[in-house]
Amino acid sequence: MTHTDPRDGGYAVATHGLSKRYGRESALERVDLRVPEEAVYVLVGVNGAGKSTLFKVLMNLERPDAGTAEVFGLDTGSAGPEVRVQVGYVPERQDAPYRSMTCARLLQHAAAFYPDWDHAYADHLIRALGVRLERRVGGLSKGETRRLQLVLALAYRPALLLLDEPTEGLDPVVRRRALALLAEHLADAPTTVLISTHHIDELESLADHVGVLRDGRLVAQMPREELQRTVRSYWLEVPDGWEAPVELQPTGLQRSSAGRDVRCTLVGEERDVSQRLAAAGARVRQVTKLALEDAALAFLPEDPS
Amino acid sequence: MLVTLDPRDDRPLYVQIVDQVRRALLDGTLRAEDPLPSVRELAGQLVVNPRTVSQAYRELEGEGVIYVRRGQGTFVAPTIHPDRRERRALVRGVAERAVVEARRNGLGVPELITMIWEVAAEDEGAGSPPVSAVIRGEEEGAA
Repeated sequence: MTHTDPRDGGYAVATHGLSKRYGRESALERVDLRVPEEAVYVLVGVNGAGKSTLFKVLMNLERPDAGTAEVFGLDTGSAGPEVRVQVGYVPERQDAPYRSMTCARLLQHAAAFYPDWDHAYADHLIRALGVRLERRVGGLSKGETRRLQLVLALAYRPALLLLDEPTEGLDPVVRRRALALLAEHLADAPTTVLISTHHIDELESLADHVGVLRDGRLVAQMPREELQRTVRSYWLEVPDGWEAPVELQPTGLQRSSAGRDVRCTLVGEERDVSQRLAAAGARVRQVTKLALEDAALAFLPEDPS
Repeated sequence: MLVTLDPRDDRPLYVQIVDQVRRALLDGTLRAEDPLPSVRELAGQLVVNPRTVSQAYRELEGEGVIYVRRGQGTFVAPTIHPDRRERRALVRGVAERAVVEARRNGLGVPELITMIWEVAAEDEGAGSPPVSAVIRGEEEGAA
């Protein structure tokens, strides 16, 4: 079943033909994002693929050149404020309009703004993430800023979390703690999460939907189970000079020195792929499941350059 | 009970949790009326989607292995014994994975079974406990 109506119920976030250009550079190209309600949707892509632009459009910090974006059925362009109170946003970069405020003061400010601010929960997050309240916002390191932003985004339990590289700059211990807090957060209240990261492996067990952005295009979007079922690593015994069928989108091809063994990542249902391989003269020795990151990489082939 | 997840394991994450609860019942780490960690606790511990934990618990509840005491949490069923049924389910999972792996490698089941005995015998000779531990477990289960 294909959903073409972006206002379709069941999606926390839906974009329709969303495009954005900066000069001659295309940041987003006809993106149809579909984030089901209560999904943990991880957005994958190299730097400059358009992830942050997409987040900014959803927060109405950028205007799209074409297309629309809806959050819980509200148009992000015309209903910006209504959207924002339902969203917890951790931006990739810290824009610092409150640099001279202390963390404590900024948190008070946020608590007054959001009717659903949960003081006890905010205190819990502050302790768990080690936010030092007396520090001035402008003097925080990158990691300290991230921790503060996470408290600001989570403490009112918004229905949607937009997390743009939320663990960037955090040391491994805090990173793990932040993700554990997120998992507990999801257990406490129904929440939709759209999250981008360079560390897909850390979302291995949290993500249930995956989207891959490449040069501004959403080249893949599916439930995680489907991704890991349909993108697998094949170890093949092949005749001399064998080439993988192009329709199986081979990536990461490795050939043994003798040339008879090939390992590659192929896309398709295993049964179907195996039949095509047999027809192409290859014998399947082994098929293995890929980690989320490796499966997603199948849609990000390396530049030939 | 300590649960670990392996993302490269062919089993879905919730099945891995289900299997580990079963294993904990068999090796006595979990016993009748023992409390299980809450969905929230386990999700935080494993950094796993709480829905995955809920799905695992639902499956175990459906099988009568665990039950929910309203407002108190999730517990191992009072009638649970590391019985034949649990043991069968666990062995079956291991066997299924071995058979799939054998077929993928172009091996027949009889040669696989023969080799399992050989490997197990060598393992025992080297002082590893697996085979004898399994046999002891079986005696306890039957007692």
